Parts: sequence; C-alpha cells; structure tokens
Amino acid sequence: MGRGGLQAGASGPVARAIRAKLRAALQPTHLQVLDESPRHAGPPGAESHFAVVVVSGRFAGLPPLQRHRLVHSVLRAELAGPLHALAIVARTPEQWGADPHVPPRPACLGGAKHERRRREEEEEEEDAGGDTR
Amino acid sequence: MDEPPARARRAARSGPAAPAGAGTSPAAGHGKEAGRRRRPRRHQSCRYPEAVERLVRAHPVVVFMKGSPAQPLCGFSNAVVQILRLHGVQDYRAHDVLQDPDLRQGIKNYSNWPTIPQVYLNGEFVGGCDILLQMHQNGDLVEELKKLGIRSALLDAEKDQDKK
Repeated sequence: MGRGGLQAGASGPVARAIRAKLRAALQPTHLQVLDESPRHAGPPGAESHFAVVVVSGRFAGLPPLQRHRLVHSVLRAELAGPLHALAIVARTPEQWGADPHVPPRPACLGGAKHERRRREEEEEEEDAGGDTR
Repeated sequence: MDEPPARARRAARSGPAAPAGAGTSPAAGHGKEAGRRRRPRRHQSCRYPEAVERLVRAHPVVVFMKGSPAQPLCGFSNAVVQILRLHGVQDYRAHDVLQDPDLRQGIKNYSNWPTIPQVYLNGEFVGGCDILLQMHQNGDLVEELKKLGIRSALLDAEKDQDKK
C-alpha cells in the first residue's frame, strides 16, 4: 500500500486534538495525522485507528522505543479514550530528508470485529448466567 | 487497546456476522444451550506484574498479540508474525490477549505501552509492530536474534544469493 491508500488531512475532533498536541509538544517540521479508521472494522466516524508521521528534532538521540513513548505521552488522553490503534513514524529532520517515505500499514484482519463478537458472546453468557447458578 | 464505549457494543449486536475465517469463534447455535461455548479462561494472576514477568521471561522470544501465529486477528499482530517468519524464527511463545482480558491489561501495565502487539526479546520489551518492522528493515533484528543465539534465515538467504 502506498501513498494512494492514505487518508490525508484527517479533520475530525480526535484528529484535530492529535495534531494540536503533537504540534505543541514536539514542534514538528513535518506532521501527518492520518485517520485510517475507515480501513478497519469500526463504526462510521469512529476515529479509532490513526497513523502519525512526526518529524521533529526532539527525537534526536532517542532510540525508536523512546521516540514512540514520547508520542504516547503526548497522546495519553486519546490512547486512554477513543484511540484503538496508533501507528507511529518518528524521525528527525535529517532522517526524513534522507528517506521521506512512510512504510505501508498492514491490512486490517478484522480484529475489532472479532473483539466485538467476543464481547457480545461474553455478555450473552453473563446474561444467561442466572440459569446455571 | 481500550475497547469502544458500551453503546457502540450494544449497537454492534445486530451487526453482520463475523467474516469467514474468523478462526477461534465456534459455529453459532440457536438459543442459550445449543452451541454454548465456555467462557475463555481468565488467568486472574495476569493482572499482576509478577505473573506477566514470568511470561516474558519464559522464552527468548515472546509475543503478545491478537489471535495466534496460525491465525492472527489483527493486521499489526500479523505483521509481527510475518516478520518473525521471514527471519525463520519458528520457536517462540505467543499469547493471544483476546483470550484473556486480564493479560491484555496486565501486559500494557507491565510495559507501560498502550497497544498490542508487544514483542519481548530475552525478557526485554523491544516494541510493537512499527519498531519490529524498523528493526527488520535496518538489520537490527538480525543482530538482536544473533545475541539470543538465533541465526536469522535472512542471513542464509543472502548467502545463497551470493553463491548464484
């Protein structure tokens, strides 16, 4: 999947919050906030699956794990709330200059649907629980 | 990750059936008794860091994912499985967090990392799908596997290419 599959310029409330927080915290030289929810098994308008491409000097000297943790800390509220999945590309301006490409994200395998079905089955079993006590 | 709100779950009750190849879900029955399946076992202890620590240290390569290596249920988890497969890593421990809500939350608490999948090498958290992909692309994964005494299959693939 290349750039053609990206949902660029996501504009919902969650996307706006993500963009604003990343700008404020990391002063990125390049920022893309991509709402990929339509590619996944969520309800319409869910804003549940995002990919962010963050190019910032703040990442200099940080290994990938720490870069991602930094992004997580900026988006802590969203990750505790509506965000179900977050793909992160975190590069310094030099790295982005050398490689301004975003790796394609994996295809959805319907994970959210499986989770919903599992919860529904569990809820039905809970509802029926009185019969077996 | 955190589930959608309760109202979305209720709304989804009347949604379409799960896609073909959903894997672990049994055939649907009629009524409460027919086709009743046991609730997945809940390992209460996996709420606690000591229990999670035992899991992450049980094997050199441990993955917490959605679904199984034979049938991943999430694209990001599948990507981890495919990367390990490319490197010829066949012997690793995989834990399906969809089967165990306590483990699902316990592993996130343990690593202070909000998403699944999570990859541990030699008991140490290395990251999720994005980071593993990066390590695969830049050669770091070959080196990390070497430290564990695992020779990546990609090294043999390169050797074969050199011979041709």
